[in-house]
Amino acid sequence: MGPLYKLGWFDFTYSLQLAALIGFFFGFVLERAGFGNPRKLTAIFYLRDFAVLKVMFTAIAVCILGLLYFSVLGWIDLGRVHILPTYIWPQIVGGLLLGAGFLIGGYCPTTSVVATASGKLDGVIFILGMVFGSLIFALVFPLIEGFYTSGHMGTVRLPDILNINSGIIAFLICLMAVGAFWIAEKTEGKFGDKETLPVGSAKIKRTGATLLILLGLILAVINPDRPVYSKSSVPAITSKETEKIEPVAPTADIPSSNEFKIVDDEGC
Amino acid sequence: MNERYSNPYLIGVILGLILLFSFYTMGRGVGSSASFARIAAESVKLVAPDHAKANIYFAKYMRGGKSPLMAWLVFLTLGAALGGLFSAFIANRIKGEVARGPSIGVAVRLWLALAGGVLSGFAARLARGCTSGQALTGASELAFGSWIFMLCIFAGAYAMAYFFRKEWL
Repeated sequence: MGPLYKLGWFDFTYSLQLAALIGFFFGFVLERAGFGNPRKLTAIFYLRDFAVLKVMFTAIAVCILGLLYFSVLGWIDLGRVHILPTYIWPQIVGGLLLGAGFLIGGYCPTTSVVATASGKLDGVIFILGMVFGSLIFALVFPLIEGFYTSGHMGTVRLPDILNINSGIIAFLICLMAVGAFWIAEKTEGKFGDKETLPVGSAKIKRTGATLLILLGLILAVINPDRPVYSKSSVPAITSKETEKIEPVAPTADIPSSNEFKIVDDEGC
Repeated sequence: MNERYSNPYLIGVILGLILLFSFYTMGRGVGSSASFARIAAESVKLVAPDHAKANIYFAKYMRGGKSPLMAWLVFLTLGAALGGLFSAFIANRIKGEVARGPSIGVAVRLWLALAGGVLSGFAARLARGCTSGQALTGASELAFGSWIFMLCIFAGAYAMAYFFRKEWL
């Protein structure tokens, strides 16, 4: 049963080695996809190449299905997974700024690392910029602390907001992803350059899309919420009413039984 | 470009499985932007240790007297650099260059890369994460704020696309 680290399967030192391993594969696939190249990354914003959308949405759909199926099968305790808390205003403004920074600089944080590794000087400069930007943030933090903590809603998830069980949400996301891919391919066919776009067989794409929707549909029927949260020790997710009244500290590790505490559990 | 890039759907499936592996083993997703904040904290600490300790934001990276760099995400980012290097190496894509569109000069591109970096570094701290640590990870957890954040990234970038088209097209 996972998550292994939170159940005390290995210590901090080993977790760092695991981080390097996970990072290795992460960087590897990003470079494979061409995400070390800012022209490839920004092409989505000129409707020429939707690789960014395809990679992100496929990864998210696969991971959502994986997490929910794992939980149904009793392989992971979602109550012990660190759910990112919602601070809606800084997230909206931060998202808009990050998007602008992405387009102007050509990268997002992780892809700039991959670009640097493949020899791009602009990637190095982007990283320097990020270090500098973080420094500015820390310096002005006392001034913007109020905004930074505004709009705190606790660890709310889409199922809580929409009041729909997470299996149905997963199914809807799978449908949405397939729809987005279909539109993306149509748009690429119109504006994109067929010489450089990766090829793929239409048959495999159709099979993949069908599989995604089917797995989502099964999940929607079996309703993963029951088995997931009945054994979970986190009150924050089962009852959103109490959640709203007393918001938990964002980084607090609520399960307080015998597993050891993680000091530095933050989103990014 | 010596080798065509891989099929994005295939990459997406593998990336999703990597993310799932991270959740299964660590109970958290991937990320990287905090590494740069930690590098900033470490730099300030080297130059002016008292200053670093006095800063309330950097203080959270220095709890327990550890170096700000002894952190999970820093190791993940190092791994990502190695993985990117390996992939670029086997595809014969390692090349010292300044990536840019055909109608923009090297100097302008580098200034814009710096500006974009500063903006992204600031924004990632404000939103408590970046495209991977907040959007990819949070969206997989169905976290509400992370979905809104992801939509806002796309909105912000599309809004800027017209004004910076000369940089890329």
